[in-house]
Amino acid sequence: MTCRRALAAVAVLALTAAGCADSDGNGAGVQLHPSTGATSLGQPDEPIAGPQGAVPQFVVECAYSHAASDDPIVAPGEFGASHLHAFFGNTAVDAKTTIESLADGGTTCDQPLDKAAYWAPALLKGLEALRPVKSTAYYRPGLSVDPTTVQPFPVGLVMIAGNAGATGQQPLSIVAWGCGAGIERSLLPPECRQGRNLRLLITFPDCWDGAHLDSANHHTHIAYSSKGLCPKGYPVPIPQLQFSVEYPVHGSTAGMELSSGGLLSGHADFMNGWDEAKLKSEVELCLHRNVVCGVASGRKSG
Amino acid sequence: MRRKLIAAAVAASVFIVGCGGDRKSSTTTTAATPTSDSMPAPDTTGAELAALRVPGDYPTIQAAVDAAKPGELILIAPGTYHEAVQVSTDQLTIRGLDRNTVVLDGKFDLDNGIRILGAKGVAVENMTAMNFTKNGFFWTGVDGYRGSYLTTYRTGDYGVYAFDSVNGQIDHIYAAGSPDAGVYIGECYPCNAVLSDTVSEHNGLGYSGTNSGGNLLIINSTFRFNRAGIVPNSGSYELCYPERETTIIGNLVYSNNQGDTPAIDVALLAMGNGIIVPGGVLNDIENNLVYDHDKGGISLVPFLEDDPNDSVPAPEKWSMTCAESKQVRPVDPGGAILWDSMQNTVKGNVLENNRGADILVASVGTDTSTLGNCFAGNTFTTSLPKNIEMLAPCDATGTGDWADGAYDILPWLTEVHPPSVDWKTSSLPALELQENMPDAATAPARPATDVPMTVDLAAITVPKKPA
Repeated sequence: MTCRRALAAVAVLALTAAGCADSDGNGAGVQLHPSTGATSLGQPDEPIAGPQGAVPQFVVECAYSHAASDDPIVAPGEFGASHLHAFFGNTAVDAKTTIESLADGGTTCDQPLDKAAYWAPALLKGLEALRPVKSTAYYRPGLSVDPTTVQPFPVGLVMIAGNAGATGQQPLSIVAWGCGAGIERSLLPPECRQGRNLRLLITFPDCWDGAHLDSANHHTHIAYSSKGLCPKGYPVPIPQLQFSVEYPVHGSTAGMELSSGGLLSGHADFMNGWDEAKLKSEVELCLHRNVVCGVASGRKSG
Repeated sequence: MRRKLIAAAVAASVFIVGCGGDRKSSTTTTAATPTSDSMPAPDTTGAELAALRVPGDYPTIQAAVDAAKPGELILIAPGTYHEAVQVSTDQLTIRGLDRNTVVLDGKFDLDNGIRILGAKGVAVENMTAMNFTKNGFFWTGVDGYRGSYLTTYRTGDYGVYAFDSVNGQIDHIYAAGSPDAGVYIGECYPCNAVLSDTVSEHNGLGYSGTNSGGNLLIINSTFRFNRAGIVPNSGSYELCYPERETTIIGNLVYSNNQGDTPAIDVALLAMGNGIIVPGGVLNDIENNLVYDHDKGGISLVPFLEDDPNDSVPAPEKWSMTCAESKQVRPVDPGGAILWDSMQNTVKGNVLENNRGADILVASVGTDTSTLGNCFAGNTFTTSLPKNIEMLAPCDATGTGDWADGAYDILPWLTEVHPPSVDWKTSSLPALELQENMPDAATAPARPATDVPMTVDLAAITVPKKPA
C-alpha cells in the first residue's frame, strides 16, 4: 500500500488521520492504525465452496449499515483511527462499541435476533467507497467436524479473520474473491458478469481456546480446525462463520482497492451480538441435528 | 367460497356419523366462530380427544411441542400466537381447531411459523401463518412430513417449504404473498411426495422445486396471479441436480403475469409463463388447463447458470439418489453452464390465449430437435417451433422443420420486468375464509407415517375453467 492510497482513503473519509508515517513496507500493514500482521493458527483444509445443502447450516443475510473509519476491536475508543470499514448487522457500531452496547443497536439482518457486528474493509474505486449490496453470514461446522460437538459462540466473543496487513497471498481457504453464488475462489477479483456481484469471502476460525473472549492480537484465542479436529489448546469447536460481502462490481476491477490496501488485504471482524438463546437454539437445532436451516442462493433480488 | 365451505362442513358431519366416530364430539357446539350464523362452525373445543391443548394445558404452542411425546396430538384453540415454533420430536400431529382463526403471526420479527428439523413424520394441520420473515411452514431434513389445510400469507421466503425431505404430502394449502414460491419441494430424489388441492397466488412463483423429483406429484391444484405458475428447475447452487421426474397433472394454471408481487430473480426471469421447466428433465405434464399468459403456456426452456457450483451431470448420472450425490465432490466447470430441458412428456393439456405461444421449446446453442421432449394430444393453437406435435410426437417419428418458428429466448435475459415489491407491503387480496379440515376437534392424531396418499393418476382429467 502506498501513501497515495492511504491518502485516498483519508480523502474519502474527510478525516484528519495520521497519514502514512507508519508504512514499513514489510507486510505488517500501513493502516492508519497499525496492524499486528497476525493471523490465527492454521487454516481450513480447503476453500469452503460448492453447492449448499450437503452440510448443515444456518444463514443470515444483512443489508449494508454504514461506513466509518472505526474499529472497536483493533482501535477501541479511537474514532477515525482505522481504515474505512463497511459495517453490517448491528446499526450502532463505532469506535466505542462494546459487547454490552451492541444490545442498544438495531440490526440490518434478516434474523432480527442477530445483532452481531460484522465488518470488512471498504472497497474503494478511486476516491469513492463502493456501497456494498449486502452481506451473507453462513454458520456451519468446520470441514469434517462432528456437527454435534459444535458449541455456540460464548457471549462476548470477538474475532478477526484474515490479515489486514497482507501484501501477498493469503490462504484461499481464509480469504477469497468470487462471483455471485458460484464455486470459483480467486486470489484477486474475477471479472463478474452483469447480474453476478463480486464477492469477498472470509472464513473465520472454528475452534476456541475456551477461556478468552479476545486476545492481544485478536487472533490467538481462536484457531482453525484441520481434518475435522481442533488443534491443541483450542478444545472448543464453534460454528465456522463464513462471511461474504457483495459489491455491485461487474467486469474489471482496475483502479479498485480495499481500504486496507491493495486487493490482497481481505479480512473481516465479528463481535458476537447474537441473542444468546437464539444462537444456542440455531446451533442445536440446525447443526447438531444436521439439517439445512436455510440457503442463501445468491439468487434473491432486492 | 361460502357454498364450498358449507359443502365441506356437511361432508364432514356425514363422515362423522357414517364412520361411527365420536358422536358426542360431533354434536359439540362452540361460540368461537369467524363465520356468519348461516354457516356451521367447526367444533373448536375438542373436549373429548386426548391431546395437549394450547392454551388450556400449555400457554404456548412451543411449550406443548416440547412436552409432547412421539405420536401425540397438539390441539391449538383459536387465537393469535406470536411464536416461531421449533419441532424436533418425531411423529407429532400439530393441529389448529380452526384453520381461519388459529393464526401464527410472525409480526415481521419472527422467522418461521413452524419449523420441523429432522423430526420424522410430523404433521401440521388446519391453521394460518402470516408475516414471517422466512417461511410459514418449513420441513428440513425429514423422512415423513404432511401439511394439510394450511394457509400462509405474507412470508419472506416461502409459504410452505419442504427442503431435503422425503416421503411427504402437502394438501389443501392456500399460499399468497411470497417472493419465492407459495409452495416448494426441493433437493430430494426420489422425493416420494404429493402436492394436491392447493391454491397458490400472488407469489413470485406458484410452485417451485429446485433439483427435486422422483415420484413427485403436483396435482389438482390452482396456480394463478403469480409472476410464474409451476416452476420446477435445475441448478447447481443447491444439491441433487437435475430436477427430474416430476408429474404435473390436472392443474388449473392461469394469469401468471402478475407484476406487483415480491420476486426473486428467477421469478422475474420466468414471469408470464404458466408451467415452465427451466432445465428440468423427464417430467410428465398432462391434462392441465393453462391459459392467459404473456409468454408460454407450457415452456420447456434452458436455465443458464453463469455462476455455477458444479458441472452438469451426464444423463447416466440422473438416477443417482440425492443421498449419493451429496458424497460427490463438485467440480468447478470454469465458466457458465446451461441446463437444457430434456426428455419431458407433454400430453393432453388444454392451452388457450398464451400470447408468446401455448407451447414453447427453446435452448441456447443446443439443437432443440435433439432434446427428446415429446408432445401429443394437447389442445392448443400456437407453438414455437410451429407444429410441435408433428415435430416431436410421443409415439412416432417426428417430421418437419424445427427452424420454422424457432424461439429466441436470449431476450429474456435482458428484458426489463416490473421490479420486486417488498413482501411486507405487496398488494394482496384480503384473506378469505379457507376450508377447514374435517373433524379437527375429533379426529385422532395422524402423524405423517402414511404419506404420501395413493393417487389414481389415470382418473385425473383436465380441470374446468372457473366461472
